[in-house]
Amino acid sequence: MRALVIDDSRTMRRIIVGVLRSMGFDTVEAGDGREALDVLETGIPVDLACIDWNMPVMNGLEFVLAVRENRAWRGVTLMMVTTESEHNQIVRALAAGAHEYVIKPFTPDAIRDKLQLLGLVELEESA
Amino acid sequence: MSTAIDLSLFTGTDPIFTIADEVFSAMIDGEPGLLTEWVGDVPVIADAMHAWVDVDGVAPGRVLLSTERDTALQITRALLAMEPDEQVGDADFVDALGEVANVVGGNVKALVPDPGALTLPQVTHERPPTSPENLLHELALAWRGRLLVISLWSLA
Amino acid sequence: MTLAAENFSFVADLVRRRSAIQLEAGKEYLVESRLLPLARTAGTVDVDAYIRSLRSVASPAALEAVVEALTTNETSWFRDAQPFATLTDHVVPELLGARGAAGPLRIWSAACSTGQEPYSIAMTLADLVPGGRLRILGTDLNQQVLARARTGRYSQLEVNRGLPVSMLVKHFTRAGVDWEVAAPLRSAISFAQHNLLDVPPAGGPFDVVFLRNVLIYFDLATKRDVLRRVQRVVRPGGYLLLGAAETTIGIDDDWERVTVGRGSVYRLNARRAA
Repeated sequence: MRALVIDDSRTMRRIIVGVLRSMGFDTVEAGDGREALDVLETGIPVDLACIDWNMPVMNGLEFVLAVRENRAWRGVTLMMVTTESEHNQIVRALAAGAHEYVIKPFTPDAIRDKLQLLGLVELEESA
Repeated sequence: MSTAIDLSLFTGTDPIFTIADEVFSAMIDGEPGLLTEWVGDVPVIADAMHAWVDVDGVAPGRVLLSTERDTALQITRALLAMEPDEQVGDADFVDALGEVANVVGGNVKALVPDPGALTLPQVTHERPPTSPENLLHELALAWRGRLLVISLWSLA
Repeated sequence: MTLAAENFSFVADLVRRRSAIQLEAGKEYLVESRLLPLARTAGTVDVDAYIRSLRSVASPAALEAVVEALTTNETSWFRDAQPFATLTDHVVPELLGARGAAGPLRIWSAACSTGQEPYSIAMTLADLVPGGRLRILGTDLNQQVLARARTGRYSQLEVNRGLPVSMLVKHFTRAGVDWEVAAPLRSAISFAQHNLLDVPPAGGPFDVVFLRNVLIYFDLATKRDVLRRVQRVVRPGGYLLLGAAETTIGIDDDWERVTVGRGSVYRLNARRAA
């Protein structure tokens, strides 16, 4: 499984990459939506995109819209990971085509829970 | 961020404290309890680092984090789960601190009606210019006993 | 402070035997932080010393406290997922079909803690069961968690845990730094303090009982006692949902195990008079 981690903060990318790698994902990074589209355009298969909202050049919402417009990328699960936490912002992201949404700050368990919901990670006994 | 961030609505815990507590317990400490309200006089911060984000829009505002450089380094180490002997690069340091300000600021933004957009975080040694009359709220915190101040400013 | 390997193993074995929960390597920090309050109360200098003292002599209550400290956690929503799917795919359609228009569907969430389970049940059934036709009772021994459950308010960190975002936007509104369960959902749920070893709660007879990850704390005789009491307030043909590692087999013959998907539910034999 490969995940594309998209955030203009290298700190946040590093944290998310760490969590995903511990769950067995290969990871690729991008610093904005445009770079992320470039990654997808190379044709490497991506199962999951973790997407920040506020980024320069192309933000996360624009990225989601672009991905959903392209049938070739139908298999990419789109999960926002962002500080945007107003109710209407979340609705906007879902309307644009995001599949899931993690609000920052998050714990590694929160990411795991969401990936279990999405069927990307095996269910394990809750502890 | 309008002055309509009516903190009197929040009976009980200061919401800014709750936000900071969640950021630190979820991402920096891995457990709650290491961030508390500062007790006693708040000393002047020597060798300070400042990290902030602005919320633009109808009533613009700023969320500012201020702390000692060494504390900021420890926060970076904890946030990035660094080994004790790992060096903290300047770029890592600036980015990490900025991201903490970004996450705190983003959550503060959600408390106000009709917020605008969040700017990219800035991190500097000098305090950004502020006027006392523009101070909306100030919270002095102790993280592992070290001083961290979060302040909210009107930019109108 | 790093935990000695044999002390960690002792605790991990204890927890696994009592709760089926696995503490693998890497969870030493969890054992340290969760047992520190117990170690302090016992007057030992650190968690290592505390565990060592338990290994030489420990009352059942002390061991129980250790298990409790390591198995209570921030409750997540839709815990283990399967039971909620079972509710919509199997249990509720069957119950609604069998009883037609007769009264509301009554569901009891026992040991509901801070309320994530009853609210999850309500969210799961929101589209399937018309409003006003659903009554959910959440009970717990602990008044503090019940008070929290009644507020229906959860922190940002709590709503990040296992709650599908579609459910979040549909059933919650922002309340300051928190999220609050919206009124329509809350109207279907009531909360009451209740001890499982006591007279069953009012609000029955119930069509479905959630008794998940509670029996594991009890010995066999007590499990039997609890199940007998629960049975008294379940309709014939009503359902019992237990935790993933739990069963009524060998404890109480009046329940029939029904395999659904990857799990099981337990149906009260219709022959048995209520």
